[in-house]
Amino acid sequence: MKAVLAVALDLFREASSRRWFLALGIGLTLLLVLAGLTLRIDVVDGALAATRLFGKVMHTDIRSVDVALRPVFRAAAYVIFYGGLAFGILACSDFAPSLLAPGRIEHLLALPVQRWQLLTGTFFGVLALALLGAAYGAGGFALLLAVKTGVWTFRPVLAGLIASVTFAAIYGGMLVASLFARSAALSAATGGFLFLTGIVAGYRERLDHFFEPGLGRSVFQAVTLLLPRVSTLADASADIAASAPIDFGALGSELAGLLIFGLAALAFGIWRFESQDF
Amino acid sequence: MLAIQAVGLTKVYTSFFGKTRQTALAGLDLAIPRGTAFGLIGLNGAGKTTFIKSILGVVRPTSGIVRALDGDPGDAAIRARIGYLPERLHLPGAWTPVAFLASVARLKGLENAGEAIRRHLARVGLEGDSGRRIGGFSKGMRQRLGLAAALLGAPDLLVLDEPTDGVDPLGRAEIRAILAEERARGATIFLNSHLLAETERICDRIGILARGKLVREGALDDLTGLATRYRARFAPGADAALLASVGFTARGEEGVYVCDADDPAALDAQLARARGTGALVIELRRDLRDLEEVLAEALGSPKAEGDAR
Repeated sequence: MKAVLAVALDLFREASSRRWFLALGIGLTLLLVLAGLTLRIDVVDGALAATRLFGKVMHTDIRSVDVALRPVFRAAAYVIFYGGLAFGILACSDFAPSLLAPGRIEHLLALPVQRWQLLTGTFFGVLALALLGAAYGAGGFALLLAVKTGVWTFRPVLAGLIASVTFAAIYGGMLVASLFARSAALSAATGGFLFLTGIVAGYRERLDHFFEPGLGRSVFQAVTLLLPRVSTLADASADIAASAPIDFGALGSELAGLLIFGLAALAFGIWRFESQDF
Repeated sequence: MLAIQAVGLTKVYTSFFGKTRQTALAGLDLAIPRGTAFGLIGLNGAGKTTFIKSILGVVRPTSGIVRALDGDPGDAAIRARIGYLPERLHLPGAWTPVAFLASVARLKGLENAGEAIRRHLARVGLEGDSGRRIGGFSKGMRQRLGLAAALLGAPDLLVLDEPTDGVDPLGRAEIRAILAEERARGATIFLNSHLLAETERICDRIGILARGKLVREGALDDLTGLATRYRARFAPGADAALLASVGFTARGEEGVYVCDADDPAALDAQLARARGTGALVIELRRDLRDLEEVLAEALGSPKAEGDAR
């Protein structure tokens, strides 16, 4: 376990020196600071009385502040979910190819680290990175609004965590692709493919009517059955952020499917990695 | 007690669809005792790097056995006792040497490695650069850092692939001194280098690899010369025909002859006979060839045939 943590820690250190992640950290911080300085919300007796952005009054109905914030949280959840996934796919596409770079992989494999530990450490390092990014962005946003309105909620953070877990499953696929061809472009393309097909898979029940009954529809159903339900999870995270009613049974099932997909990808990657020569 | 053992070691690389096959190692047999400084030499594509990777468990043999420190290289506990410097070590450019060595120490499972890291950085001459980013390092500095990483944890076996590549002459001397210290500590050194003069200076046993097989292996002295052959240089004016009649064979170079003598008394008698012809001895030493000649001879190159003639 120590070796897995050491590999994950190294990945963290490597990420902190990359421009992508520095830009993300600086960008999120600037956005939060900008919002903090320019957004003014007046709350009177728990009701949203007035909102000013850059000094300009935004006309809103007078209503309970927690109700008024729901669409804001919903929109933020979608931005964090889809934006975070797209960013993660691009920014993390080079981690596995870099791990497998000639001169680095031989050195790592010659150390007393098992191959599965290297791969698992990389996977969990990326998961931790995604969790940290989502927690910082969503947490910062929730904190900002809490300070300005007095409405304290951890729901946006929870929505961000769902986005991170979804990204980890997609990253499992990207990791496997890198083991077949050491290419950041292929890794990103795999991530992009899983992202887009995952959106389709989330609406599979609605979309399968577009296929004629028979082989075409069966193939569509079979393929989308295996994919993570990206859009369903995005909707669920938005519902959580907006305090909308949630079918926790369905969400649990989606998350379990995501876990199975991620672990299956990781297991397949380990099987491939164990038999590879470098 | 063997540091490295290979029995019938074969490695065949096959392409993804199994259409092309390339034999890198073809039934290699080798046994290297502990405490030895062993140099593996050979032409490009001879299988040297594949053999090194087999010792480290990075490459899995197609057939045969490879053992390191009397254990399986696939065993992490065995690899914990091996220090490895790859030919082209990929280093994280944004890290400092201290951060890199700390990472290696963590992966080697070394506790409280701070002091060891400082000591090894000083040993390889990088203590003044410990706060700099690796990205700004020269090739030689990168090699030194790679060597420091290999030395962490006082390994029993050091596997070094071109350790002095890109290092300046003074740096090479420093690395040789470090390797001598490691050997004195009891470590076995396995060296792969194209710099044959370096190999000659560091190693006491040599193996020559060609087409995946070991074609020569033995003590450096045995490979580079006969214990009973001497090389003498005579002052100008020596009569070649007379010297030939007393057992001295001309070597091609002006005034240089070789002779065979089983012991010092026989050598002295032979020199006396040479002096009897009127020749004046100005230099006498063992007739040793350099590794380049040995390699050429082992590989049957025209150079070796020319030298032999």
